[in-house]
Amino acid sequence: MNKYHLVRRPVQSLRRLLIYYLIGIVISLGIGAILLASLGINPFEYYGRMLTIGMVGNKYAYKNFEGFLKVLVPLLITSLALGLSFKMRFWNIGGEGEFLIGAISAAIVAFNVTGLPRPITIILMCIAAMLSSGLLGVAVAFFKVKFNTNETLVTLMLNYIMLYVITYLGKTKESWNFFLDPKSARPIFGKFPESAIMDGIKIGNFNLLWSVVVAAVLVALIYVYLKYTKHGYEIAVVGDSTATAKYAGMKVGKIIMRTMFISSALIGLAAGLTASASGTISETITNNVGWTGVVVAWLGKLSTPAIAVTSVLIAILQFGCKTAATKYPSIDSNFADLLQGIILFSVLTADFAATFTIKKKEDAKNA
Amino acid sequence: MRKLVSLVLTAAFAVTSCLSLAGCSGQTAATTAATTKAGETSQESKTPDGSEPAVANIKVGAIYINSQNDTAGYTYAHHKGITEGMKQVGLDPSKDLYIVDNVPEDDEKVKQAIDQLAGDGCNIIFGISFGYINAMKEKADEYPDIIFSHATGYLSNDKNFNNYFGRIYQARYLSGIAAGYKSLALKNDNIGYVSAWGVEYAETCSGINAFAMGARSVNPNAKVHVYEISTWGDQEKERQAAQVLIDTYKCCVIGQHCDSAQPQIVANEKGVFGCGYNSDMTKEAPKAHLTAAVWNWSAYYATAMKAAMTDKSTFMQTVGNYYQGIAAGLVDISELSGNCEPETAEAIKIAKDLMVSGKWDVFSGVKLAFSGAAGAVKVEQKNDALKDNKGEEKVAAGGASVGDDVIQGSMNYYVDGVTQVN
Repeated sequence: MNKYHLVRRPVQSLRRLLIYYLIGIVISLGIGAILLASLGINPFEYYGRMLTIGMVGNKYAYKNFEGFLKVLVPLLITSLALGLSFKMRFWNIGGEGEFLIGAISAAIVAFNVTGLPRPITIILMCIAAMLSSGLLGVAVAFFKVKFNTNETLVTLMLNYIMLYVITYLGKTKESWNFFLDPKSARPIFGKFPESAIMDGIKIGNFNLLWSVVVAAVLVALIYVYLKYTKHGYEIAVVGDSTATAKYAGMKVGKIIMRTMFISSALIGLAAGLTASASGTISETITNNVGWTGVVVAWLGKLSTPAIAVTSVLIAILQFGCKTAATKYPSIDSNFADLLQGIILFSVLTADFAATFTIKKKEDAKNA
Repeated sequence: MRKLVSLVLTAAFAVTSCLSLAGCSGQTAATTAATTKAGETSQESKTPDGSEPAVANIKVGAIYINSQNDTAGYTYAHHKGITEGMKQVGLDPSKDLYIVDNVPEDDEKVKQAIDQLAGDGCNIIFGISFGYINAMKEKADEYPDIIFSHATGYLSNDKNFNNYFGRIYQARYLSGIAAGYKSLALKNDNIGYVSAWGVEYAETCSGINAFAMGARSVNPNAKVHVYEISTWGDQEKERQAAQVLIDTYKCCVIGQHCDSAQPQIVANEKGVFGCGYNSDMTKEAPKAHLTAAVWNWSAYYATAMKAAMTDKSTFMQTVGNYYQGIAAGLVDISELSGNCEPETAEAIKIAKDLMVSGKWDVFSGVKLAFSGAAGAVKVEQKNDALKDNKGEEKVAAGGASVGDDVIQGSMNYYVDGVTQVN
C-alpha cells in the first residue's frame, strides 16, 4: 500500500469537477432510491417532491417558496461570511455562536425599542446584531494576533457558550427576563412587537422579504470587495502566506482583525434579518447555518459566485428533503437527514476525487 | 476567468429559473386552489347512498416534537393515538396522514410546518408540544378553513382553534392508591417521586399532588419526596434521582413523571416498588412495578376527527376545548401487576367509579379514606380542606373541585404531605 500516494492533480478542471459531482449525486440518489423502495415508497415521486421543494400539487405553493427563501438567506450570508475568513486561512467555525449573539442583540432591540417606524427599528436591530457579533469575532482575532491562541478551539467553544446563554434566557421565568412571553405561565420566547417584524414586497400572494433583497445585494458587494478592492487583495495575500504579507509591508494583525470583524458582523446581520423575519428568537434559530456554512464555503471553493450557487442547492436539498418526508407516514425527518447526509458525503467524496489522484510513489517524487 | 464567467452564468440562470418558477407557482397555486375547492364541494355534495350521514373525507396533519418512528414516550403516545383514532373514524393513516416531525419549539419552524401541511390540503392540524402555541394561534387566523388543535396549551378561538389535554391526575391518584397500600404493608411511610419539573409546571405538580393524595387516602402518614431532574427526559438523571430517593430517603415506592422507565428499573434492582408513567412498565421492572398512569390519546383524536368530518364549522361547539379524563377513557392506569397488595384492586375500583360518575374529583374539599381488608374494602368521604404544604387553604372543607386551572397551568403548589428534596 505504501507504494501509492495521494497527489493533488496538477490541473484543476471545472469540467472534471462537475462530471465527478454528477456521478456522486447519481450514486447517492441511487442509494436513496433503494432505501425508499425498500420502505414501499416510489423514489421518483419522492425525489420529484424533494427537488420541487414540495411546490407541485400544493395549494399554497408560494408559501413553500417563501419558506425556502427563509432557509436560504441565513445560509447564504453565513457561508459568504465564513468564506471571507477562510480565505485568510482563519478557521472561524464559530458561525453558530456569532449568529446566536446577533439574534439575542436583535431581540434586545426588538423588545425594548418601541414606537419607531418599522424600517428604522429593523435597521437598529441589524446594527445591534452586527456590532455584537462583530465584536465577538474581533475578540477571537485579537487573541489570535496577540497570543497566537487557536481560533478553531476558541470559536468552537464560544458556540456552546452562546447556545447555553440563549437556552438560559428561554427557560428562566423571572421578572427581568423581557425575552419571554409575559402571558405564558411556562417559559416561552415572546413575539416581537409588530414594528420589529420584517415585511416585504408583495408580488401577488407571494411576499418577497426584504432580507432576500439584502442577501442578493450582499453577494454582489462581497464579490466586488474580494475581487477589486485593496482589502480583498490583502486578504488573499495573508491567506497565501503571512510572511509574504509582512514582507510586502502589510499589517497582518490589523487585516486579520478587520476581516474577522466583517465576517462575524455579516453573520450577525444574517441573525438580525432572520430574527426579524421570524418575529421571535429561539434556541434553534440558527438552523445550523454555522455548521452547514462551513461545508458550503468549501464546496464553493471560497469563490463568491460558487458559494451563492452552492447555498441555493444545499437549501433546496435541506428544505426539499424535509418537505418530501411529510407525505409519507412511514419515513420521518431522520430519514430526510440521512438522505441529505448521503448526498453531501458523495459530493464531498467526488470533490476529493476530482482534486486528488492516486499515484505511485516514484511518480510522486518526480512530480 | 472563463471558469468565473461560466459560474456567474450558472448563478444567473439559477436565479432567473427560481424567479420564473416562483411566478409560475403563484399562478398554479391559485388554479390548484380553485380546482381543489371545486373538487371538495362536488365530493361533499355526493351523498353516499343510504343510512349514514354525509361525512367528508379529510386529510389529517400532525406536528411532532420527536420522531414518528419512536417506540416509546410522548410523541409515540400521540402518534399511536392519531393513527388509531384515524382507523376508528374510517381514515387511512398511510394515505390521509401528513406529518412534520422533529419540529422544535421555534415559531418559524412551526409556521413552516403548518404552511406545508396546509399546502398539502390538510383539514385538521394537530400540534402536540406546548411551545407551538403562538405559531398555531397566528396560523389559525391565517387559514380559517383549517382546524387547529393544540395539546397542553391554553389559547383558543371560537372558530377553528382549540386546545386539549387530559386529567392525567385522576390516573395518578389511582396509582397513588396502589403505592399507599404498598407503603402500609411495608410499614414505611416514605414514597419517592422522580419528576421532570416541580411546581413550575401545573402538569407535573398536579400529578405529584394527586399521587400523594391517592397514597394518603390509604396511608394518612405517607410522605412523598419529590426529586426534580429539570428535564423531561434524561435516562442518567432519572436513574440517579431514583437512587437518591431509595438510598438517602429510604423510599419504598418510586413514582415518576419523566420519559424513560429508568426509575422503575432502579426500583427493581434495589428491591423496592414503583409506579410508572406513559406505558405499562411491568415488562421493564417485573418485580417492582405496580401500575402506571397511561394516556389513551385516540379517545380525543377520534372525537376531534369525527367532528371535523361531520361539520368543520361547528367544531368549537361540538368539541371545543377538550379536558376529559378517566370518564372518557382518555387517561387510565395499566393493568395491576402481581406485585400489588390484595386490597388495591377494590380500592382503585371504588375511587375510579366515583370519578367516572362525576360525584367526586381529586382536588376538592372532600377526601377519600380507605379501610378494611381485601374483600371488604370500605371508603369514607370526609369533608377536609385542600391545603398546600405550607398550611394555606386552597379549597374549603366540602368545597367543589378546583377549576380547569389544573390543566391550563395555574396549579403551582404542593399539597400537604409533599416535599421537594432538591
